[in-house]
Formats: sequence, C-alpha cells, structure tokens
Amino acid sequence: MKRPSTHLHQPDAIDIDQAMTPMIDVVFLLLVFFVWTASFQVIEQILPSELSSQLGNQHSTLTPPPIKDFEDVIITISYDDGRPAWTLNKQPIQRVAEIERRLAAIASVNAAAPVILHPQPNVPLEFVIQSYDAAKLSGFTKVAFAVNPK
Amino acid sequence: MQIPRYKSNKKLGFNMTPMIDVVFLLIIFFLVSSHLSKQENQIELSLPVAASADDAPNQQTPRVTINVTADGKYALAGRPIAAERLPQQFADVVAKEGKDLEVRIRGSRSAPYSAVEPIMLACTKAGIWNVTYAVFREAQQ
Repeated sequence: MKRPSTHLHQPDAIDIDQAMTPMIDVVFLLLVFFVWTASFQVIEQILPSELSSQLGNQHSTLTPPPIKDFEDVIITISYDDGRPAWTLNKQPIQRVAEIERRLAAIASVNAAAPVILHPQPNVPLEFVIQSYDAAKLSGFTKVAFAVNPK
Repeated sequence: MQIPRYKSNKKLGFNMTPMIDVVFLLIIFFLVSSHLSKQENQIELSLPVAASADDAPNQQTPRVTINVTADGKYALAGRPIAAERLPQQFADVVAKEGKDLEVRIRGSRSAPYSAVEPIMLACTKAGIWNVTYAVFREAQQ
C-alpha cells in the first residue's frame, strides 16, 4: 500500500502569499502617507526684519546723539495708477533695479548706514518687500520700516 | 496498516499581521492629522518674492504667525482677528511665552502696507523685536 504523503498542500507557496499581503498593505499606506504629506506646497522662506529699538526714533535725553558721517538713507515708496515709484533721499527713481544699483554704491562706502523704508499706506506688500530685499542685497545691515504711530 | 501522522509545522500563537496593520494605520492617521492641523493655520496666500530670504530655521523659539490677506484682513492661528485686538493679543502671548518670541507675517503680496503697519506697531508696543516675513524665493516663481 502506498503511504499517503504528508505534503497535502504546498506550504512554501502559501507562506509566500501570506507574507506578501501585509507588506504590500504597509507599502501602500506609506506611499499614501508620503504623497499626502508632500502636499505639493511651495517651501516658504523667511525674511528677518528685527524691529530694533536702536533704529527707531529713541534718542537719549542725557547725551547728544553721535555725529553721523552719513545721513540715513531714506527710501519712500508710492503707488499711483497701479505703478510703484521710489525716491531715494528725495531723488525720484522709477525702477527697483536702479534703487539696488544706487544703494550698492552707497553701501560700498558705508554699509552700516541705516536704511529707512517709508512706504505709502496703499503700496502693496510686494513692492515693500522688493525694496527691503534690494537694500539687503546691496549689503546694508540695518534696514528698518517707518511706521506711522496712530 | 500504518495511520499517517499529520504533524503540523505551524506553531500556535497570536497572528501579528492585523495588529501591525492597525498600528501602522493609527500612526499614519495621527501623522496626517497633525500635518493637517499645521496646515489649517496657514491660509493659502500669494507671498512676496525675495532673493535674500533665508530658510526658515527649525528652532524652538515660540512663534506667532499672522496672516494678512489681500484685502487687509488678519488671521491669527487660523482665526480672524481685528487690528484693534492685535496689541492685546501680542501682550497676552508675551506674558505667556516671554519676549523671546518670533512674529511671522505671512502677507499677501497684494496686501497694502497700511495692513502690515499695525502689526509692526503692535509688536513694538508688546516689546517683540523678532519680526520675520514669509516670502518665496525667486527660483520658485
């Protein structure tokens, strides 16, 4: 009489199937998670702007302010008819590239001079940041915003 | 006649597979929900562009992010807030977290400067000096 085989099924094949299923589950879950968290967002950067009290209008009442070799660099920004316009120490400028060029010339002499941006209330933030960026790129370290206290 | 002996090679015990599945599901659920809770604080805004921008440092300094929409409205921690309440709000945060605080202004590039001005004024009144602007780098445009 033939002895019945104890291998009624193929255990190796079944074990492989069973082992693959949870792995595929986990791989798909991880895939979904990473696709979701990527969320296709553009990475934001930051533009530091310290509201330093030394750049403001605080003057000591005991000692006179030190004599400055250079005056503050004051940039005003206006926005009329959908177009921005600048003045650099009261000299009108039409393009931000020109601002950057002139600021770079001043910065080559004294980059420590404070630059004060004075935007009009209706100026879009885009042009304010653009001007701030131009001052930073020119090499100035002290760039401040003028704020109208109400 | 010899009776065949079916000796199973399988060991008795807990099946770990469903438990691992559930644990992974829970991990992913909490990770995704925490990610979404971070996202909901950030309104989708068209930020200004700056070439001198730095990467946002992953520091432990407490940070308050204030969003300024194109029409000049504010949202603090995802909730709208009036300009008049900003000084008090910042003062409360300073009282809780200290003056070593970062205020990040996420302003739309179309927002008028008159909408950003009160934030800086409120920061100055509250004694906060660390103010940053969220921007995009030029290469990403």
